[in-house]
Amino acid sequence: MFEGPSPRLSERAMTRTTDDELIACWRDEPAPLLPVLHAFHDRDGYLSDDALRAVAHGLRIPLADLYGTVTFYHHIARIEGGKQRPRVCDGPVCKLNGCDALLDQLAPEGATAMPCAGRCDDPIPVLRGDEFLVGRVGAPLAAEGTPLPPPNPGGVTECCFAHIRDAGRASLAGYRASGGYEALARAVQELSPAELLDLIDASGLAGRGGAGFPTGRKWRAVAEATGEPKTIVCNADEGEPGCFKDRALMDHDPHAVIEGMALAAYATGATRGFVYLRYEYPHTLRILEGALEEARAANLIGPGILGSDLHFELYLRRGAGAYICGEETSLLNSLEGKHPFPRNRPPYPVTHGFEDKPTAVNNVETLVSVPPIVRHGSDWYAALGLGEHKGTKLISLSGDVQRPGNYEIPIGLPLRTLLDEWAGGPRAGRSFQAVTMAGLSGGFIGSEDFDITLDEPCLRAKQSFLGAGGVMVFDDSRDMLEVARQAMSFFAHESCGKCVPCRIGTQRLTERLAGDAGPRDTELWSAEVHDIGHTMMAVSACGLGIAAPLVTESLLRYFPEQVAARLEQRT
Amino acid sequence: MSDDTNGYELSLLELDGEELKFRAGETLYEVAQRRNKDVPTLCYDPRLEAFGACRLCVVEVDGIRNPVASCTTKAQAGMVVRTKTEALEKHRKTLMELVVSENPEATIDPLRGMASQELGVLAERYGADGSRFQGKHSGSSRPDDPNPMIGRDYDHCISCYRCVRVCAEQEGDYAISIKNRGFGTQITVEFDGFLSDSACTFCGQCVQTCPTGALNDLRARKHEDTPGELEATRSICPYCGVGCSVDIMTKEDTVVAVRPAMDGPANEGALCVKGQFGWEWIQNPERLTKPLVRKGGKGGELVEATWEEALERAAQGFAQVRDTHGRHAVYAVASGRAPHESAYSVQKFIRAGFMSNLVDNCSRA
Repeated sequence: MFEGPSPRLSERAMTRTTDDELIACWRDEPAPLLPVLHAFHDRDGYLSDDALRAVAHGLRIPLADLYGTVTFYHHIARIEGGKQRPRVCDGPVCKLNGCDALLDQLAPEGATAMPCAGRCDDPIPVLRGDEFLVGRVGAPLAAEGTPLPPPNPGGVTECCFAHIRDAGRASLAGYRASGGYEALARAVQELSPAELLDLIDASGLAGRGGAGFPTGRKWRAVAEATGEPKTIVCNADEGEPGCFKDRALMDHDPHAVIEGMALAAYATGATRGFVYLRYEYPHTLRILEGALEEARAANLIGPGILGSDLHFELYLRRGAGAYICGEETSLLNSLEGKHPFPRNRPPYPVTHGFEDKPTAVNNVETLVSVPPIVRHGSDWYAALGLGEHKGTKLISLSGDVQRPGNYEIPIGLPLRTLLDEWAGGPRAGRSFQAVTMAGLSGGFIGSEDFDITLDEPCLRAKQSFLGAGGVMVFDDSRDMLEVARQAMSFFAHESCGKCVPCRIGTQRLTERLAGDAGPRDTELWSAEVHDIGHTMMAVSACGLGIAAPLVTESLLRYFPEQVAARLEQRT
Repeated sequence: MSDDTNGYELSLLELDGEELKFRAGETLYEVAQRRNKDVPTLCYDPRLEAFGACRLCVVEVDGIRNPVASCTTKAQAGMVVRTKTEALEKHRKTLMELVVSENPEATIDPLRGMASQELGVLAERYGADGSRFQGKHSGSSRPDDPNPMIGRDYDHCISCYRCVRVCAEQEGDYAISIKNRGFGTQITVEFDGFLSDSACTFCGQCVQTCPTGALNDLRARKHEDTPGELEATRSICPYCGVGCSVDIMTKEDTVVAVRPAMDGPANEGALCVKGQFGWEWIQNPERLTKPLVRKGGKGGELVEATWEEALERAAQGFAQVRDTHGRHAVYAVASGRAPHESAYSVQKFIRAGFMSNLVDNCSRA
């Protein structure tokens, strides 16, 4: 099952030109559809009808299915020149920073809005073709690297960020300078897969993408499942608005991702892996390609890793613009070239994942946490948390706060410590009104409830959750109903359309927040919003529909007077 | 777990307070169906893989926080399941109100298709009258599609994907697919074109499984105003040798539609374009009802004649061929459009009349 080294995607696309050549580049690799679509998209600047016909024929996909699947993705252009048209982030924080004015400014180039592109700690991200640029109103677009996390502000021990600020960390030599790949070497030479599983179990590491499933248990389930080849998928589809931690990790510490995946492969018996990277991070794709090439040349990926029996082939796959593809089963369908609806569960990916074979899908941060755990031990990692909590969590902090950025916190850190001590408090002359949790998925926490700690039990008690760790801050100058409308409109835009409560519910809630439809009377308005929300939370088919109403529920809980006042204005 | 002779596992689950055996692999919905529970659904078609889109069939299971879709949840030993509680009925009502809110108000004639009344029936049951959750409508119909068989009134579509799935899983055409996402979802075909330019074979299965009449039988709909009660007569499609069971739908003496029989052993609800849509000729005013004979021999004009005269002329012709060229010079092919009784008569005619087996039927091909 080893197809050999895969040359850089960009190089392959540059040297081949005919339809057949492009298809032949990936036809015999696993998960060929996305790279083939991107190859045509890159060559032609859009996907023409003829291109779709060629791909359907070449990969034996029914044309109607392929056509439908392509329309699902936000970033695949179907009109000539479409790929080069600028897309301007209109995520919640970019709205605060003036993205609407920037959109107007770029209108002559055919600019359109895109959902949060994961750079909320910086100016407004703009995607133009394969360039990831930042825009400021009134200034030309600039290419700037991903900001590093602020210098360790709490002085507490870090796991993921411990060395990320070291110069040259992104190169293999730089990574090795502070112990990089020692964990992998130790694992394959000294530990059995079972011992590695025990180590991860004992560390208390749990999924850092939001679901919080214990990593050791997930890997053990894959190791024990029947069926081969087994697969490791790194979920790098960081689509949650207000989350930009995975981008920082991959841009500045790409080898940590690769080492984490190789360790996962060793623990589970997986022989192949994919990084599923969101479309909005083209620069990250190039960084990962370079790192993968280095790792392969150094015998850290491929057959016989470091002289052991471990064979692990790694493929990079680029998404095409769909938030739902961060949901693991939707991601797997997307990889397989199917319509990216979430799958019904059970069965779970650990037994029926990529191509129905046992698969571990792990978030970038989870995988990056693994090498330090192997090097320093499970007790070390578990002790990083506060109180009974184990380990650390990356928080992407953005919005109305002095020092936005990525922070690695001990789990259980008080929210106020993060906001006031680490991040410098509110903007001058302002006070905090609310924060979001889990990006947007956890809804709002009003300032009256700021005496919370950042851990799941505490946040669950407030009907929210930590999730992927995006925290957006809104001060007293902000219109929370408008923030909620933007949030719900994002969920409506990203709802896959498979299940009724989410497909229609997100639309109706958006209309009610915007005042486009629905009752004007506060009581009737609230009853409709609650009824839709409760049913969505109870019976939606996946996390999107279950979480989206937390926005409206928390809005009504913390800001009923803002809602009532707005409805009053509308009558 | 061992099986008993009926294929049921010996383990049990509890459904609405009743202990039940179940088969390995059986879903909660199937168990509930067996007990005649009235669990509502709009996206379910027993022939297709369970999909879990409409969420109406949710049931409560002890130990699981949220209700689960019974169509996609496999029965497990020891499960305690409730199919109808106040909380479930409230969610179902909300779901129905949401579904109804996405479409314009309309009366859906049953002639649109077999399943076309499902939405209306459930809407009435849950009192979903369109008064709540008003807002934008989701569908965009294709009245521009010129095909004469399948109407595409997506204004009534509720995105249950039964048409997409039946086209792929039952018919194997993969002609129907899904455009866009979320509330912008549209049922479509390749490049959003006409059915005739797509991989569609006009088998009509999408029409018959559509629970809202959004996809509909245009030929049957010509008879929406034909007077009379709609009645079904079970028959076998004569067009080929497969033997698809069909229901001939009539209003008084007029054939108004053909529908596939879901319980037809050969077809399980499937038909092809001929069986589904090829019936209008039955009532075509241009059909011959009187015999014609040619005046003045070969090339002559056809004129009306009596049956006696016509049969006499035909008999003369056959006899002449037989006498000149032998009995094997006559070969009969009966038409698939003819009734079964006529096909029988034709073979009798050849076998008894010419002592030959040179007889066939176009349906055998």
